Amino acid sequence: MNHQLKNLLTPLIITIIILILLEIISTVILPIVGLKYYILPFNILVILFLGFKVRTPFLAFLILILQYFHSFFTIEGWESGTIVGIFVCILIAYLKEFIHFSSKLATMLVTQIFQTCWFLLSSSLIYLRASDLEYISIKFWRFLPESILISILSPFIFSLLEKIWDTSEKGMLGGES
Amino acid sequence: MRNYQQEGQRVKLILNIIVLGVALFSFSRRPDTYNKSSAFEVFMIDSITPLQHGVTVVNNQLSSFFEHYVKNVSASKENLMLGKRVSDLENRLFLTEEIRKENIRLKNLLEFGVEQNTRKILAQIVAWDSSSDYRVLRINKGVENGVRLQSTVVTSQGLVGYVFRLTKHYSDVLTVLDANNKIDGVVERIRVHGLLEGDSEAKIKMKYVTRTEPIILNDLVMTAGLGNIYPKGIRVGRVTRIERESYGITQSIELKPEVNFRTLEEVIVLAEPVNAQKKKEWSALDNSEEAQK
Repeated sequence: MNHQLKNLLTPLIITIIILILLEIISTVILPIVGLKYYILPFNILVILFLGFKVRTPFLAFLILILQYFHSFFTIEGWESGTIVGIFVCILIAYLKEFIHFSSKLATMLVTQIFQTCWFLLSSSLIYLRASDLEYISIKFWRFLPESILISILSPFIFSLLEKIWDTSEKGMLGGES
Repeated sequence: MRNYQQEGQRVKLILNIIVLGVALFSFSRRPDTYNKSSAFEVFMIDSITPLQHGVTVVNNQLSSFFEHYVKNVSASKENLMLGKRVSDLENRLFLTEEIRKENIRLKNLLEFGVEQNTRKILAQIVAWDSSSDYRVLRINKGVENGVRLQSTVVTSQGLVGYVFRLTKHYSDVLTVLDANNKIDGVVERIRVHGLLEGDSEAKIKMKYVTRTEPIILNDLVMTAGLGNIYPKGIRVGRVTRIERESYGITQSIELKPEVNFRTLEEVIVLAEPVNAQKKKEWSALDNSEEAQK
């Protein structure tokens, strides 16, 4: 477990730069090619990576910073993503013994499962605020293609982030790095 | 070693609680109708958005190249057709100008109200929102160009939305397709009011219209001017679906927006000058709400 914040600073800055580039792709390049109604949530993918691979007590703080940078690209704000991200990472910490990344397919499957958890939690937050089930059902039909695409991309982006965070252990996750 | 682990777990728990507490507090205090950015957020958005703008400019120039040089085969025929259309529009403009002057004269006679001196700012779309839950677009005009928070954004076809977040050089526009954008609309033909609400796809819902109102397909719906954000009479959309049950109080109506959001590239921001009287009214309302709490 990494207890020193200064050790996390360099990979965090590089991750923020990658997140900004991915956000530019999803907000400018994808709408140009016609994808205006399905936007890829790369922030979720990066936060899931941190939950899966980075063992540090400052995880909540890292999620907050990444969500804060994500909020420059959306009016959603940093709050809801931070709340959901922390809960999903707590869930990952409890289930880490059962999570395996033995193949690309396994990585995609695990990412899809935790994206579904993210969707359920964020929908609960929306329901608490707006009490609108119809909106959540519309959100679900958008979530399906978006999350599948994110899951397909996950092995490639995870391998890039593994190099940055130096967490390239094979097989089961949850071991101390 | 175990103590070290326990210490880490304790720090993690405390940090989780603090960050969750701050996020929940901020989430509950977040206003729905606008977003006032901090100085740091303004600085960051102004620093990052030129990258988005750059990509859009490159794309536009590439498209422009293909439009002007590669697909230029039938340009002369189109030019002739456009020439005819311009002369036709000039005639119509002359008539409209006459009607406008007549309207001013009649308004003055009736002392109907003070005409707002609205500035029109042309802006280009540089990006879309990075969450598909929101139908927001980012434009390349901000405070320095005269745009204000909650300024109305339109095109020649109709209403686009209003300015939700503002920085020095850029603004985020909450479009009529967004479920958080609620507009008081009026059906042009029969002057029936209803609440317009985006449903995140390419359509708008019209709510709270009583079942007995004789709304028909293709009816034009415009802004009613209530709510202090949108001026009266801007076209929003046309009725494409009506569902009336044999029971219940209201009918379910769907509209197709007049603006084609799929091909939207430029918009016009209607920037009203600061109205001291209006500001006073708003602050009085805010104060009375706080006093009630």
